[in-house]
Amino acid sequence: MNKQKFCEAEERRLNWLINFKLPNYWKNIGWGIFFASLVLILSTKFLDGDFDLLKSILKKAMLIGLLIVTISREKIEDEFIENLRSKSFSLAFIFGVIYVLAQPLVNYIVSLILQSEKANFEDLGDFQILWFLLAVYLTAFWSLKRKNA
Amino acid sequence: MKNTLKVERAILNLTQDELAQEIGVSRQTINSIETNRYVPSTLLSLKLSKVFNKPVNDFFKLEEHD
Repeated sequence: MNKQKFCEAEERRLNWLINFKLPNYWKNIGWGIFFASLVLILSTKFLDGDFDLLKSILKKAMLIGLLIVTISREKIEDEFIENLRSKSFSLAFIFGVIYVLAQPLVNYIVSLILQSEKANFEDLGDFQILWFLLAVYLTAFWSLKRKNA
Repeated sequence: MKNTLKVERAILNLTQDELAQEIGVSRQTINSIETNRYVPSTLLSLKLSKVFNKPVNDFFKLEEHD
């Protein structure tokens, strides 16, 4: 395979990845997975027993649910929606970075004020970061869409 | 950039929804273009031009600060 053909194939693959979307009905499936996992996680709080493994699986399921919602098509997926998507993604990315940097500092300061001897720096877990990114994306996308309705 | 999409639509007696269906976008998209919140791509502009049977310059005009 010559260099040009290789570059073209690479570009095609990249474009396929960028443009990949699940059909519209997946959006409901995604919300279903998300809310079902949320309800199950909340219900473990009222039950006795060790649910650590179950909880970590359910947290992953919540993220997967939101990811499915994120990459599902709208009923009419046109260039305007594409534009709103990229705006929301960039907003989520920037807020995500700020959140990861600022949140441990805020936690530290608050715990310093409340109980100075126990204060220590703790980085955010992967769930918190991913949850925040997806939540900011979906909120931004939803509110932009609503503003332009 | 300003546009006279609304006027062109009125001439053809089309609703936002009908125009949207004609060029394969959502009604939201037409509304955002009309209210100057979204600048459409060349592709979409050419599709509009085809529907209105007019050159793009007739309904999209540059403003001084553009």
